[in-house]
Amino acid sequence: MLIGIDVGGTTTDAVVVDGNKVVKTAYVPTNHDNLLKCLLAALDELVQGIDTRKIERVVLSTTLITNMIAEGKTDPVALVLIPGPGTNPKDYALGKSIILDGAIDFRGKEIDRLKESQIKEAASQIRTQGLSRVAVVGKFCQRNHAHELKVGEILAAALPGGKIELGHKVSGQLNFPRRAATTMLTAATKDRYELFAKDVAAALKERKISSPVYILKADGGTLPLDKSLQMPVETIFSGPAASIMGVLALTKAGRTSVVVDIGGTTTDLALILSGKPLLSAKGARVGSLLTHVRAFAVKSVAIGGDSAVAVSCHALTVGPHRNGPPLCMGGKGPTPTDALRVLGLSQIGDAAKAEEAMQIVAEGLGCTANEAAQKVVDAVVDKIVFEVNEMFREWTEEPAYRIWEIMKKEMLSAQSVVGVGGGAPLLVPLVAARLKAAAIVPEYASVANAIGAAVARPTLTLNLHIDTENGEFSVAEEGLTGRVTDQKMTPEDAGRLARRLLAERAARLGIGEYASEAEVTYSEFFNMIRGWSTVGRLMDVRMEIPAGLLPSWGGC
Amino acid sequence: MSSIGKAGKTGLIFFPAFDWAISPTHPEREERLLYTRDQIFEEGLMDLPAIEEYKPRLAEKKDVARAHFCVPDVESQVTEAHLIAAGSTLTLADALEKGEIRNGFALVRPPGHHSMRVVHGNRGFCNINNMAIMVEYLRTKYGHKRIAVIDTDVHHGDGTQEIFWHDPDVLCLSFHQDGHTLYPGSGFVNEMGGPQALARTLNVPLPPGTTDEGIHYVLDNLILPVLDDFKPDLILNSAGQDNHYTDPLANMRFSANGYARLNEKLAPDLCVLEGGYAVETALPYVNTGIIQAMAGLDYSHVKEPDYVPGRFVQTEGMKREIEHTVAQVQKIWDQRDELVAQALDGAGDFYRRKKRVFYDTDMINENQEEVVRLCPDCAGYMTILTSAQRGYGILNSAFCVSIPRGACSSCRDDAKEEYAEHVDDKRIGYVLMQDKDKDKFKLYNNMIRTERGY
Repeated sequence: MLIGIDVGGTTTDAVVVDGNKVVKTAYVPTNHDNLLKCLLAALDELVQGIDTRKIERVVLSTTLITNMIAEGKTDPVALVLIPGPGTNPKDYALGKSIILDGAIDFRGKEIDRLKESQIKEAASQIRTQGLSRVAVVGKFCQRNHAHELKVGEILAAALPGGKIELGHKVSGQLNFPRRAATTMLTAATKDRYELFAKDVAAALKERKISSPVYILKADGGTLPLDKSLQMPVETIFSGPAASIMGVLALTKAGRTSVVVDIGGTTTDLALILSGKPLLSAKGARVGSLLTHVRAFAVKSVAIGGDSAVAVSCHALTVGPHRNGPPLCMGGKGPTPTDALRVLGLSQIGDAAKAEEAMQIVAEGLGCTANEAAQKVVDAVVDKIVFEVNEMFREWTEEPAYRIWEIMKKEMLSAQSVVGVGGGAPLLVPLVAARLKAAAIVPEYASVANAIGAAVARPTLTLNLHIDTENGEFSVAEEGLTGRVTDQKMTPEDAGRLARRLLAERAARLGIGEYASEAEVTYSEFFNMIRGWSTVGRLMDVRMEIPAGLLPSWGGC
Repeated sequence: MSSIGKAGKTGLIFFPAFDWAISPTHPEREERLLYTRDQIFEEGLMDLPAIEEYKPRLAEKKDVARAHFCVPDVESQVTEAHLIAAGSTLTLADALEKGEIRNGFALVRPPGHHSMRVVHGNRGFCNINNMAIMVEYLRTKYGHKRIAVIDTDVHHGDGTQEIFWHDPDVLCLSFHQDGHTLYPGSGFVNEMGGPQALARTLNVPLPPGTTDEGIHYVLDNLILPVLDDFKPDLILNSAGQDNHYTDPLANMRFSANGYARLNEKLAPDLCVLEGGYAVETALPYVNTGIIQAMAGLDYSHVKEPDYVPGRFVQTEGMKREIEHTVAQVQKIWDQRDELVAQALDGAGDFYRRKKRVFYDTDMINENQEEVVRLCPDCAGYMTILTSAQRGYGILNSAFCVSIPRGACSSCRDDAKEEYAEHVDDKRIGYVLMQDKDKDKFKLYNNMIRTERGY
């Protein structure tokens, strides 16, 4: 049996899955002040009458990190940058930082030395500010860790008890400001996340649940809870990831679908293209910071069942604000929920109040209440359809850097619109009709997130960079480097090395059994020519265990 | 979210064509923009609110035919990579015209500025002229009249010059390392354009070793004042990066900071990458600097690892030589109206010239005979008889007819007649018609006697 728990924005959902059947579900309202408490409440309700010895796996998806960041409850961090030549670091919206001399270039060559006295001065500055957590990030330090390591070492010695996070350990991908932001967020959330993880582990032990515990990441993959301590930021947006994985689990494989999660004030949209959830081309945006966190491309549209409906100068607007609950549910102003009630599309709330709400709109527009209700619903559907089309357009217009990438990209359109969340059953058929797609509201739509968490398999990415002229390779994800002795290394050799490194990394993360699922998703090979002869090769291989479902689920 | 609207942004297309090369060890190979990619991606430039990245598109064959006579046809002369590089410039042109961006930079390869009006193959690493294709597109689609193309590549922009040779509304100004010392061996002060467009082609040959100081002297004392006079609708920069002091194919002493400052002062509406082959030591820094300058960002932190300000000092002799050249070109510019009047006085109805063009990359020798009608009512139609031989291989010959925008009825009729006369003339392989006025292009194959259009 598998357990999935999704601590969502309004409710915490939990399911028990056995094979490909949902055995039991549970819901409790989410209490933002104590996520652990509501997680455990859902769990306790769920496991009543269930033999906990039969639980093989527990997967959590939680808004913990998302909330922590949104509410500014993270720990303060000193940001130390080694930017080298290029952009003025002030042009990055990273907040206050300490800038050090020293530079590494794109090949990993040192082009400017560190100044030890400057680093020591930075340490005393950090001490004066009373900070103990430090993020140290250098431009191109993923290609040569020496500067970050040296700075880290000096700072650690100068700041007893300080916690120092190095950029190359957090991400090895190109994009220095994103790496700085991700490293800073990691340092800012790690301790609190660790506390949460410990509490979860203790609570489960108390309940005699000894199965492994996993956490769902933003890319829809699971990771053992204890291994996730190193990368807390990966768990942001695990809610939307859970809902997309849920849809993947509850619909036919291989289809192109739009996932529509209609909530009170926002509607989350995501795409599944030929059965594969679309990942955001770049990392996720967390608040005002752009990160390297791999996440599904989710678009949040400020429209939902509780959005405020207003009329000014005969023009109708829906959202983006919420002025309390719908009028038919005791609120003050008209909302789409009232409109749906008037049209007889839903039975939620008081019919007379809903009529009253639409009457207000009708007066502004100079029409009947029924017509007004229709206009409100049309406006919501228009907005969602527009944003879905935008998502497809943005996907086709993602920059490409190779001829074949530009030539191959075909136009895809939605075959189905899959609804999850409260407002889904009412509006999804209307959206689907407009997109000329099938409307699907799966049987377990309301617990889709928990199901998604329960049956998601691990994901893993490994970016390998090889420079045969320098005789070095580096793995972006964990700051691992090594030597390559074969100057004549072929792309096939690079692929084999990537596979071996991925298997080792998977084993370290406790997901070794999935290593064979890994596939090469990107590779590039360049001969380095100096003068008229080849002096070496630069090779990049990205290998991934993509998001997917456990084999035991087997689909619907 | 950013407070900068899209309209205030710099549009950027980065198309490194990582899967296209002339040959594996050729300077114009896959690796050329690799380190530039690493640098600009690592800088996170695409994430900055001042920059908007666009996806390239393929140019249509018609877009190519608007600027070139490809012999025997467009398909034979371009690969997908060429169409994407050219299409990138058009994507940015559209974005600019729609007001989505303030300016734009097509950081693309393969380059184009050595491609001339007639194309038999690759010369100077170029098959089709991205810049000229963009200029023709901008004029046809958006009705721009006056356009200034400033060629800042170290090599003379001979292709662009040749395409707009007779056009008084396109100012082609190229500064470059003296043609006595560098490919393509042209671009001297006396190359000034056709009789109707004299001084709308300006060339500034510079001595090898010219520094930031010298190039900025040309910019401040010649280019900017000429642009003030010419008042173009758009300023375009053929942005080669091989004036850099580390370029392996040339001998100048320009720095990344010098390039950035040049683009800041020139303030081009659109930039198109041309050459630049110091793939590791120059391109990552020069491109970063140009992007920052165009986007109004601080570029003072961009610096090559081995550069210190004042590293290169211009000799007195070089200084005098540059000042002398600038003074000469300024004089030509000042006399532009008289020069045209003199040239047209008693010139007759037609202007003729014979030309030989050598395609270094493909080893093709071409002979051309060009005839332009000096029409009082319009720009005058043009014909070109061309024949080209690749090594000892086949001889390709074509008769090309071009009808200008706003052609008078007499030029139009005569041009059509010229086309008809050469159809089925067995001495010529192909007959091509470029009707810029109606934006229609056709070609007739005399061997298989079929006509088709773009």
